[in-house]
Amino acid sequence: MSSGPIVQIGGVAARWLSQVGALARFGFGGARAAASLPRAGRAVVFRVTLNQIRFTAVNAIGLIVLLSGILSFLVISQAVRELSQAGATGLIGTLMVVAIVRELGPLITALAIVGRSGTAIAAELATNKVMGEVRALEGMGIDPRQYLVLPRFIGAVASVFALLVVFDIVAIFAGFAAASFNGMTGTRYTQIVLQSLSAGDVWLTIGKALVFGCIVGILPSYFGISVRRAATEVPIAVSRATVASIVGVFICSALFVAIS
Amino acid sequence: MTVPLAFENVPLSAREREPFTLSVAPHQTVAVLGDEDSGVDRLGGYAMGLERPRIGIVRTFDTDVEAMPERERLAFRRRVGYLPAGDGLLQNLSLRDNVALPLRFGSDATPFDIDGRVKVILVAVRLGAAADRRPARANEEECRRAALARAIAFDPLLLVLEQPFDGITARASAELLEIARGGETAEGARRSILITGQEIPTVVQRRCDRVYRLTRAGTLELETA
Repeated sequence: MSSGPIVQIGGVAARWLSQVGALARFGFGGARAAASLPRAGRAVVFRVTLNQIRFTAVNAIGLIVLLSGILSFLVISQAVRELSQAGATGLIGTLMVVAIVRELGPLITALAIVGRSGTAIAAELATNKVMGEVRALEGMGIDPRQYLVLPRFIGAVASVFALLVVFDIVAIFAGFAAASFNGMTGTRYTQIVLQSLSAGDVWLTIGKALVFGCIVGILPSYFGISVRRAATEVPIAVSRATVASIVGVFICSALFVAIS
Repeated sequence: MTVPLAFENVPLSAREREPFTLSVAPHQTVAVLGDEDSGVDRLGGYAMGLERPRIGIVRTFDTDVEAMPERERLAFRRRVGYLPAGDGLLQNLSLRDNVALPLRFGSDATPFDIDGRVKVILVAVRLGAAADRRPARANEEECRRAALARAIAFDPLLLVLEQPFDGITARASAELLEIARGGETAEGARRSILITGQEIPTVVQRRCDRVYRLTRAGTLELETA
């Protein structure tokens, strides 16, 4: 049988499509399972979701503050120095809103959560599978997507959203500090940032937070729960989940730029 | 009368063994023992519809569970108690919460009623003191008691127990079997039970109605009657 480049490309495309199909089935199945939760089950899912938010959002606030503060301070410091020589400090507002709040903020927040919590979700679910806990859940008549995936998904979406708000607020204040440090008045900085900020930027940021949250919630869960029974599959699942999530975040970020 | 569990022309392992037919009648306790690589560990999965045999059919309460749509399959499994090999207890939950979990997800009972039912089950399996420990902090016998408690949470008429007595004493094994049987009726135990594993204590064998052993030749032999 021929194994020319077209056959190979076809094979890769077929595998990729099959993976996307399986992921879509996983996602829709999970959404359907969520609709059939009994009252006591909803209480359990709520508790697990709060735990997930504590780990993913609350415990990551320090990291996000650090990343946002340093990034914004460095960018705005350099920009004030360079642009003031050209008399174009008015562009600092655009730089802050477009580059940091709208583009880098969601991207860095999502990447930080992929590295910190996406890996943890994939490793935890893969371990659940290897330890026979997923099989036991199925044997008891519990949909593992209800107990294991749904709280992590909701937790990830809520956490990305909350951390993005934190990122943007810290970025704006760090920019303020950087501008003041480099000789720009606080009033001028505030004025040009507010002038550059529009309702569209806010909606776009919210949209990105939701989409990136979905990616961080669903991909690690999918790869984690897809392992079979060998412990050696756990690091492979974590690696695949991380790579897929990062690629997904970048692709969606590019799509947002294309449609906005 | 509906047969709780029937394997019809099902091969036991991938080593092309002869297909066998076996049923667990109402009120009967049946054990199937064999080496680790004999494929005997697949029987539980077949019975619960977690795996499908290559050929043949498995009927649980006259139903091919594996062929059911997913939602119905999950709901059906609540009619059968399942103790998987290695217990399958969730490590991030206390033993008490492990027992409560199927009731919380599989019934419309209020949290108050579920807590009450869990207390009753924990007393029945004598797990009172250890119930608030997580599996990693409990000993093997306590974990096994919790896993059995979880399996009987819905008070099923059929139990599938995979390696339920591994690593615990004969005394504890006999006690767990009595709890699993759920009391006695005129016809025998209240529940029908399938036990799979490598070995079971003699005292447990005596309480079984039939014990089969998978021989090296690949045939299923009746060991005791």
